[in-house]
Amino acid sequence: MTTTMSGPDSPVTEPTPSSAPQRRADSKPPRPPRAPRPARAARPQDAKVAGVSSAVTMVALVTCWVFLQMLVLGGLSHERSQDLLYRDFRGQLANLTAPMGDQPIDPGTPVALVQVPAIGMDEVVVEGTASGDLLAGPGHVRSSVLPGQDGESVLMGRGASYGAPFGEIGDLQAGDPITVTVGQGVKTFTVLGVRRAGDPEPQPRPAGTARLTLISAEGEGRLAALSPGEVVYVDAEAPEAFGAPAGRPAGVPAAEKPMATDRSSALPLLSLCLALLLALTLAVVAARQRYSAVLVWVVATPVALALAWQTTDVVMRLLPNLV
Amino acid sequence: MSALSAWWSERSKRPLAVAGVALVGAALLTWAPVGASAADEPVVVGRSAAAKPAYSQTKRLERVFVNAAGEREVQIQNDVTVTADQTRNLRGRQRINIAWKGAQPSGGRASSPYGEKGMAQEYPVVVLQCRGVDSASVAAAQRLTPETCWTATNLQRSQVAVSRGAAVWTKDLDASADYRQPFSGIDPNPASCKSAVVPDLWTRLTPFRPLKGTAFPACSSDTMPPEAAVGAAFPPAEVAAFTDTEGNGSIQFEVRSDVENESLGCSNKVKCAVVVIPIVGLSCAQEESPATPVDQACRRGGQHLPGSSNFAGQGVDAAVSPSYWWSPSNWKHRFTVPITFGLPPNTCDVLDSRPATGFYGSELLAQAGLQWAPAYCLDKKRFKFQHNQMSDEAGFNLMEKGGGAAAIVSSAHERKGDDPVGYAPTAVTGFGIGYVIDRPNNAGEYERLRLNPRLLAKLLTQSYLGSDLGRDHPGIKENPLGLMSDPEFTKLNPGLKLDSQETGATLLGLANASDVVEQLTAYIAADEAAMAFVNGKADPWGMKVNPAYRKVSLPRSSWPLLDEYIPKTGSTCRQQNPAVYFSQLAAPVPTMRRISESLLDAWPNVQTKCEYDAPTALYKVGRVDRQSYGARFMLGLVSLGDAARFGIRTAALQAKGGSYVAATDASLGAAVKLAEREKRYGAFEISQQDLRRSTRAYPGTMVVYTAARLRNAGQEDADKVAQFIRVSITEGQRPGSGNGQLPGGFLPITKRGVTAELYAAAQEVATAVEKQRPAPTPKPSGTPSSTPSTAAPAVDAADPPAAAPTGVAPSAAPSAVPTVSATTAPVATDPTASISSGTASRVMPTLLLIGLLGIALASLLRFVVQGPRRR
Repeated sequence: MTTTMSGPDSPVTEPTPSSAPQRRADSKPPRPPRAPRPARAARPQDAKVAGVSSAVTMVALVTCWVFLQMLVLGGLSHERSQDLLYRDFRGQLANLTAPMGDQPIDPGTPVALVQVPAIGMDEVVVEGTASGDLLAGPGHVRSSVLPGQDGESVLMGRGASYGAPFGEIGDLQAGDPITVTVGQGVKTFTVLGVRRAGDPEPQPRPAGTARLTLISAEGEGRLAALSPGEVVYVDAEAPEAFGAPAGRPAGVPAAEKPMATDRSSALPLLSLCLALLLALTLAVVAARQRYSAVLVWVVATPVALALAWQTTDVVMRLLPNLV
Repeated sequence: MSALSAWWSERSKRPLAVAGVALVGAALLTWAPVGASAADEPVVVGRSAAAKPAYSQTKRLERVFVNAAGEREVQIQNDVTVTADQTRNLRGRQRINIAWKGAQPSGGRASSPYGEKGMAQEYPVVVLQCRGVDSASVAAAQRLTPETCWTATNLQRSQVAVSRGAAVWTKDLDASADYRQPFSGIDPNPASCKSAVVPDLWTRLTPFRPLKGTAFPACSSDTMPPEAAVGAAFPPAEVAAFTDTEGNGSIQFEVRSDVENESLGCSNKVKCAVVVIPIVGLSCAQEESPATPVDQACRRGGQHLPGSSNFAGQGVDAAVSPSYWWSPSNWKHRFTVPITFGLPPNTCDVLDSRPATGFYGSELLAQAGLQWAPAYCLDKKRFKFQHNQMSDEAGFNLMEKGGGAAAIVSSAHERKGDDPVGYAPTAVTGFGIGYVIDRPNNAGEYERLRLNPRLLAKLLTQSYLGSDLGRDHPGIKENPLGLMSDPEFTKLNPGLKLDSQETGATLLGLANASDVVEQLTAYIAADEAAMAFVNGKADPWGMKVNPAYRKVSLPRSSWPLLDEYIPKTGSTCRQQNPAVYFSQLAAPVPTMRRISESLLDAWPNVQTKCEYDAPTALYKVGRVDRQSYGARFMLGLVSLGDAARFGIRTAALQAKGGSYVAATDASLGAAVKLAEREKRYGAFEISQQDLRRSTRAYPGTMVVYTAARLRNAGQEDADKVAQFIRVSITEGQRPGSGNGQLPGGFLPITKRGVTAELYAAAQEVATAVEKQRPAPTPKPSGTPSSTPSTAAPAVDAADPPAAAPTGVAPSAAPSAVPTVSATTAPVATDPTASISSGTASRVMPTLLLIGLLGIALASLLRFVVQGPRRR
């Protein structure tokens, strides 16, 4: 990402010395003049090629960064979120303050702990299923009852990026246990089956039971792991449900449906992030006039990394939530 | 109006002067009828003004002294006539009008004539409620005597340990030998009154005989009946009323039934009377020679001038004071007005064991329902009618769902079910702005209050500041504190006190939803000036609407408390109990009956009284005290039925132009004439727009309907409702106080006259309700929406499509259907819908591709095209 910074930077601050030697000298007299480049005479098309090269480098780095963050860095961020959420939720369970669903729950707060030994999944579920909420872990559809309560509870999770918490739910077999811990207690569900487009929906839920549906996305073909385009469902059922309080919202916003994007909340944030990146660039340009490159980059690199990370998180909101 | 014309003529040139004069003339013409009607006696709706008083009697009252020589000297001789407007079938707390003429002019007027406070007056007219029959021919136990007359304190009936010179009753000309004893009135003297026997001091007790149990000796406050305890639930009703210098006077006397006063015990079975004793002074027995102090005291003629006031509570001459009403020569002057009480409200529950059929809704019908109910439950051919009061909307919903046989509503309501609903007009009544306002200098009650929509809007929107606490309210700092300091009000109602009270800032209203509130707010909404005020335009005197209510939507069926201003003060009590000040002023109540009782007691519901509770060391906030007589000022929203029952005055409301219309038979009739019905079986609408075009129609007029379903009501209920409609529209419209008759405050609906249309409509609806239309067949679309809700559990087995499961987003709709199906064969379910996203499947490969391509291209450019660079 350092080069992302140097992208707009390089045409201005690192022109060939011949193109603007006086300006450098004017603005920074104490700097010793560089040694002339003797190897090869500058050709007129060199500047153009250098520009194209820088631009292409920049594009490559941005895309690679995003790709890297989705697959690797996002996993780190997901792990950290889970640690924090787990600590939070553990305290709530101990204090009997974990949400029961009798009053509206703020999106992003932990509501349940889901453990699926068959695929080695152990995740804290947060409230809300907008693209931004699912960065931290699986999300609970706000209009459904909490897992384990009398009714149909729906969880969604990412299938490929940001740690891919639900990446392997397609491998579950009928009969696999799913253990859910909520404020009301622990409930073990039995998987009814995996369901993809065209498969029949499960039988109507018998009264008094709890139904749990996990939703994620998976890919097909050679790049299956990288192309989670199809929604996959896992249905599970527990025989005796906890009581379900009234007062769930009747529906959820469009941004919280499967494969939805969250344009409305992402765009303002994104513009803020981009503005900050631009500000950083200008600050680096200005600082380079006065201080040595090493000094400037030592200071600017962590800031640039943090901003880039944050910006990519925001960009993720513009992508479908199950990716 | 006259200000306008003055302005007009000032501005006008000579040709326009004529127009100005014409305008003044027109103004005078519109004023004239108002003045005339206000001068008349207040007329109660539904009671003919010319009707003969229920009681009228004339007596010659004399004050006689016997001088030392044994000669009779007649000091005062008055021919007094006492009338009472109602005496039969009274209800607890009902107020009846007692009037007299030819009485001795009173002097030393007390600030409050009620109870003990009224004793320091001269030549008043004492009015009491007593039990028994005033006849020598009845058994002693049923006879009316001073001992069966109610007083709220013992001081009003007993003289304990007074000096010889003040024991004037011992010199009473008509007194028996018993009265001349130093201790008299009770024999033997009970232990509880031993302290009343003091050597050289004189005592006369008038014990109180309750309906049941032993007599209360009344020698101290401890030996009085429980209802006379300090701080009793009801203020004293007995009164020492004032006679003007012409000898005329009147009082609204509140009667108490055994519900309010069990010791007195008046009911439909126990005969009672209102006793009126015009005080002309004690007649005195032969004077000793020389005259003793008690002889002189008995002959005193008063130290206060006729018509004067005695607010300081200075002493009065005992011989002409009301304290000795029981002394034989005063008691001899009594007018006994026999009264009877109606059946108590629980008659039907006691006498009729059948289950009641509930009619739910408007409180407007309460007083009529009270009189009508016994006419149903005591007649075995009829059903047991019960009127349960609740908001119109709730009653209507209950009726639609089948929870109530019929609803009592006063406007058309939106139907939520499919069954058609018929509206049968049942009564013509309405709301009134009830008030109790005293004129300055104890000149009596104000009787011609006039209000316009803007004043009502100002009250409802909490735009008056109430007191200094409201002065810092943002946006309305310059507003008047209350009605009294509002130039608009004082111009309309001249001659009232100008000192502000918190109660002048509020109109005690309803907390619940009601058609009455809807009609009241519609009245405001139909007035341009009032709406301009509500929408933020200051009135001509610069008063602005409370910003919390600015542009509040009108009309509306319930009035919200929107203000949020909590005053900042140095008062510890208010700091510990922070509250929205204007909401404390408004403090609406759930029923109009409670508003009426507040007006009856002149006890505003303003919750701003701060008290320190020493044991808990806490401050608490509560209801303010009852207003003192002479300084009362209170407004409240009442039903005309309650107003008539309790004798509450209602304000004249502004109609077209400058005319003000009070609630009378004529003005209600004029409003009914404007009523229109859009469709058959529907409700008549009296639109405020139409009312505002009339100079004679009362804007508070409302028609009360019995609303019932015309389909699916169940034949048994339908027959009852039809019977109720028919009986109430015929028998129930005869004015009177008896069972099944129409009380005051209601305009009788008759076959002819202005209410003819209502009568016809009621008969029509009664037939339609009784017939009950057959189940709907014309539109199949109506069937699915109405049947499954009631009949689903019975037929679902034969109805597999209903078992179709929910879609992708599982809804929380676990009906009873799946439990049935789950045990049997699997249900065919829908295939899972496909949700896919091209973006999702392509985003990562694309990023990877672009990244790799970019790196490759950049490397190519850097190292191949540009060649290696050296630093």
